[in-house]
Amino acid sequence: MGGGTVLTEPDLYCELSEYETEKSMIEIKNLQKRFKLSREQKKRKRGGNRNGFIDAVDHISFKCEPGRIFTLLGPNGAGKTTTLRMIATLLKPTSGSISVCGMDTVKEAVEVRKRLGFLTGSTRLYDRLTPNEIIRYYADLHYMDKNVYLKRRDELFTVLDMHDFADWRIGKLSTGMKQKVSIARTMIHDPEVVVFDEPTVGLDVMTSQNIIGLIRQCREDGKTVIFSTHIMGEVSLLSDDMAIIHCGKLLYNGEYKDFTAQMSSGSIEEEFIRILRETEQ
Amino acid sequence: MKIIWTIFKKEIIDSLRDRRTLFVMILVPLFLFPALISISSHVIMSQQRKAKDKVLTIALIRNGNAEDFRESLVSRSDVKVVEDISLSKCKEQIKIDSLNACFVFKPDFDETVKSMGSGRVSLYFRYTDNQDVEKGRILDLLNGYRNKLRTERFAKLGIDEKIIKTLDLNEFNLATVKEKLADTIGGFLPYLFIIFCFMGSMYPAIDLAAGEKERGTLETLLTSPVSKGQILTGKFMVVILTGTVSAAISILGLYIGIRQVREIPAEFLSILMNIIELKSILMLLSLLVPLTVFLGGIQLALSVYARSFKEAQNLITPLMIVVIIPAFMGLLPGMKLDATTALVPVMNVSLASKAIIAGNIQSLLFLEVYGSLILFGILGILTCIAVFHHEASVFRS
Repeated sequence: MGGGTVLTEPDLYCELSEYETEKSMIEIKNLQKRFKLSREQKKRKRGGNRNGFIDAVDHISFKCEPGRIFTLLGPNGAGKTTTLRMIATLLKPTSGSISVCGMDTVKEAVEVRKRLGFLTGSTRLYDRLTPNEIIRYYADLHYMDKNVYLKRRDELFTVLDMHDFADWRIGKLSTGMKQKVSIARTMIHDPEVVVFDEPTVGLDVMTSQNIIGLIRQCREDGKTVIFSTHIMGEVSLLSDDMAIIHCGKLLYNGEYKDFTAQMSSGSIEEEFIRILRETEQ
Repeated sequence: MKIIWTIFKKEIIDSLRDRRTLFVMILVPLFLFPALISISSHVIMSQQRKAKDKVLTIALIRNGNAEDFRESLVSRSDVKVVEDISLSKCKEQIKIDSLNACFVFKPDFDETVKSMGSGRVSLYFRYTDNQDVEKGRILDLLNGYRNKLRTERFAKLGIDEKIIKTLDLNEFNLATVKEKLADTIGGFLPYLFIIFCFMGSMYPAIDLAAGEKERGTLETLLTSPVSKGQILTGKFMVVILTGTVSAAISILGLYIGIRQVREIPAEFLSILMNIIELKSILMLLSLLVPLTVFLGGIQLALSVYARSFKEAQNLITPLMIVVIIPAFMGLLPGMKLDATTALVPVMNVSLASKAIIAGNIQSLLFLEVYGSLILFGILGILTCIAVFHHEASVFRS
């Protein structure tokens, strides 16, 4: 991947030809998502208001490669979740395109979802089902062969140390146990691309470590990982590549090491704030 | 199809483990009617028995008249006569239930009766229910006296009493017992269908859409490689099943309720059992599926639109009142199942149920009811699909 740069206005619409394309598992081109504002939002008249509409994602482009972790960094309301939801085919782009494993997320949504794992910090599980039932349910939804499923389940349950509570109802499990089930649910079909949307929000240090471990394991397994966060510690721990997003616009896109090399502030956090302030001015 | 079955299976397990769903879908319809019928019939029967056996306290202000009436009352073991009491005192005591009634004879009563006039008697009592057993017993006392006076008067005039009977009417009501009872029972049954179809499907509809949204599980489900149509079909099948089962169980509950109550006279019970014959039950049950499709479609659409469980409840609960109105209209006098009313959803179920129980349902109209319900059911499903495919509704926050 080429060196990262802080993007100026014309760069926001950069051509992807600047980057290598042959290896990319996620390719986002000129992506835009426009939402209609509610009456309440119109009253507040927040930034980006264009005749009752807001561009939650405003013509952004970037790529993610296998065996690397791509971090989408931004403050609350920056457009991170909307971008990841579009990658996961939950939302359709207003314009632009997303390709996952070479497939268009709008035209081949089902095929994309077969290759995708999705985990968010707000994801919950079915309280009245057991981990075994939930994992089986998602395996069935991914059309997994029974033998493949059983082998994969045993591997995951062993790695995550889940055998002891595999038949307990989710409602009876601790937060850490639930998070392990969520991880197993996300990984049961061995996805090529894994999307994490602020996966550690609201979790304690120990439980967060499970997620950090999972993200690293995905990289080691050669998977493509994209995760969003606003926690700087996670950025420095995990990122290979990163993008900074603010008010729907991409402010930086490049390798993490390049970002740290060209920082004019003392820490990543200060540099992040500096970039946001510069943009707001 | 395998995926729809997978979703259906998971949703039904999830729903059946939800105590609220179990309570509303099975326990309430199964035990509500036996309990209601048992308690109400027990209370009514015991009240009626009490009223029949009760010694009536009757005040007489005769003003020296109607000695024979007094004697007839005094001779009865079920009547206690109170005399030497003022009218104002009587009124007070009637108000506090110390007296059941007071007969006041006009001072010229005997004289008027003797001169072939109409003797004036005033009756004071306090009853709000025209069917009250006690009121009937009090009026019977006076009617007995009235008949006695009339017989005496005709005898005195040497006229056969039958002379005043100018018309000998023989009534032949060709309506069957089923038809006579259809209006009452047939009007009641649709309420069971509609209420229990609605209640039985309400909680699953809310839980499977708004509940999933609130819990954050819908987003995960939508990232699995299945279409929204498959997800919706699986969920919709659960809503239909729970609504139908709930309504069917309510009929079973009613049947058990009727059978277990000993106070119901054997003759009436036999008529009821004849009415609830297998063919009628099957026809009534067959109306449940399209009715639940219709109701479930609307409920699920509202649930998908709602942001949370609570909002879904707030949207769906008032709908119950909207649904009850056409059911109630079906009970209004003169409302009959015809080509027009058969098209109105819910009202057509109400009217068709009456006709099924009366045994005079016309096949063509029955089919029209089906057609209408299925059409509106499809409309419900389409609304549901449209809402589910509208990303702003699914991700409304």
